[in-house]
Amino acid sequence: MRIKAFLFWLVTVIIVFVFTAPLAWIFLTSIKSRPDILHVGIDKLFLFSPTLSNYQHLFQWTLFVRELGNTAIVAIASTVLVMVVSVPAAYSFSRYNTGGGHLLFVTISTRMFPGIVAAIPFFFAFSKLGLMDTHLGLTLLIFYFNMSFATFLLFGFFRDVPEELEQAAAIDGYGRLDVLRRVVFPLIMPGVAVTAVFCLVWSWNEFLYSVLFTKIVARTVSVGLALFWGSIEIQWGPMCAGASIAILPTLLAAWFMQRYIIRGLTFGAVKG
Amino acid sequence: MTTQMDEVWEKRTLGEVITSEKYYRWLLITPLLLTLAVFMLYPLFHCLYYSTQRYVPGRPDVFIGLENLRYVLARAEFWAALRINFQVIVVCIIIELVLGLAIALLWAREFRGQNVVRALCLLPLLVSPLVMSMIWAFIFQYDIGPINQLLLAAGLQQVNWITPGWALTSISLITSWQWLPFSIFVLFAGLRGLPRDIFEAAKVDGASPWYTFRRITLPSLMPLVLIIVLLRTMWLIRLFDPLYGTTRGGSGTQSLDWVVFRTSFAYFDMGVGSTMALISLYLTIILCAILFRYLMKALGATK
Repeated sequence: MRIKAFLFWLVTVIIVFVFTAPLAWIFLTSIKSRPDILHVGIDKLFLFSPTLSNYQHLFQWTLFVRELGNTAIVAIASTVLVMVVSVPAAYSFSRYNTGGGHLLFVTISTRMFPGIVAAIPFFFAFSKLGLMDTHLGLTLLIFYFNMSFATFLLFGFFRDVPEELEQAAAIDGYGRLDVLRRVVFPLIMPGVAVTAVFCLVWSWNEFLYSVLFTKIVARTVSVGLALFWGSIEIQWGPMCAGASIAILPTLLAAWFMQRYIIRGLTFGAVKG
Repeated sequence: MTTQMDEVWEKRTLGEVITSEKYYRWLLITPLLLTLAVFMLYPLFHCLYYSTQRYVPGRPDVFIGLENLRYVLARAEFWAALRINFQVIVVCIIIELVLGLAIALLWAREFRGQNVVRALCLLPLLVSPLVMSMIWAFIFQYDIGPINQLLLAAGLQQVNWITPGWALTSISLITSWQWLPFSIFVLFAGLRGLPRDIFEAAKVDGASPWYTFRRITLPSLMPLVLIIVLLRTMWLIRLFDPLYGTTRGGSGTQSLDWVVFRTSFAYFDMGVGSTMALISLYLTIILCAILFRYLMKALGATK
């Protein structure tokens, strides 16, 4: 029994190490000096004198702060837009089976589409409309990208609200909008919050549209980080410093939303 | 069922007519319909149109019918890309299902610190795939990457992870690392949902653990396995970010989306690009139709 318990913990520790070590490696590299990063040999792998020079470089010589701001603006704006469109639509789908399932299928299929399909037409349209490298342009694209996912996830959450509750409220003299405001919304709030956090995370991590549709003005963090990968050398230090900051919000989201991550990723199919 | 609500509300003013059963549900869904019209129909028709045109920047488009399709299908690069996608899909799904099931079974019990262990393993799921692939490129780096340094210190041969022989394996490993927790916890949720008494009964009947696993556990997990396979396949068809962070399409790792990306935005051959994008779309939509049915079943919704 002792040996069995020992093996169990040995394997468990190895698994946890495999999943967390690469994340820890980012933080570790971000506080290493350039010679220490490029040092060959295991003596400097974990033992080194920490430095903040990479962070200094990041804030002094790159547009990182602006990129952070851009990413946040786009994430928040697109998520608000998504909620405005998806909440009523999801309610309609779940209560009235609007479109008999076909419309819901069309909606979810847009999330499954390869992003590149929409990229080519919008490249033309945005060039004509002057939306290239603007916050509005990227916000619209990410809004579209997240909308179908949010609608489907919310659809699942709305289904969890018993319809009898609404009928009871209606019989008690509530109007349709009152039913929504006073009965449905309070019950659906956790679901809306979870969906919103997912949208924020997807938007924060988005890369394909960002790299195609932003250059300098609206450039996001992921695009900025990819720029450290120059044609002459890769600036590992500043890149890891940037990555450390960039992944922090998503790590926090993962930690606080653990109960809902699987539900979200499976579009509500697995309650987790 | 829903008409009951209308019997309660009498219609008087215009506002109440609009919010009556018949219009209300369409009213709620109008923003979604408008969004779909702009963001879905426009790109779709645009792609369909350009797939029939010869596009050269600065020159008028020429209608060439299915010539682009013929060109794409005749190009070795396209088939190589499909093969790469297929290879990554198979490798990733096998790794994720086998390891995912093993780890889910390992953790399907109560143990001290279980919540912390599980929370730590969920962390990779929400981290940007692009950032992670760049970090992995560092970890896999030939001279200064920690893996090779440790291999060397252990007296083993260094591996050139990002070369034609290894690059595809490395990319599969990177994506599997990020998505393995997904399989683990989907299957874990399935294991926890299984009724205890079946296992008790099997034990009483003297069934071996292997027999119980094969005849009870595995069949009841099948719907979840299917959801994992479908979702992962669809995500992996659009494999892009991990390539950008590691090989940038070099070392024989050009996936379908990467080829579309290069064709459209590096060579500006939008006609051929659109055609390939549409093929990518057709492939996913078939899978999506199957997946949708399973999702609806899982949500207990009627179609």
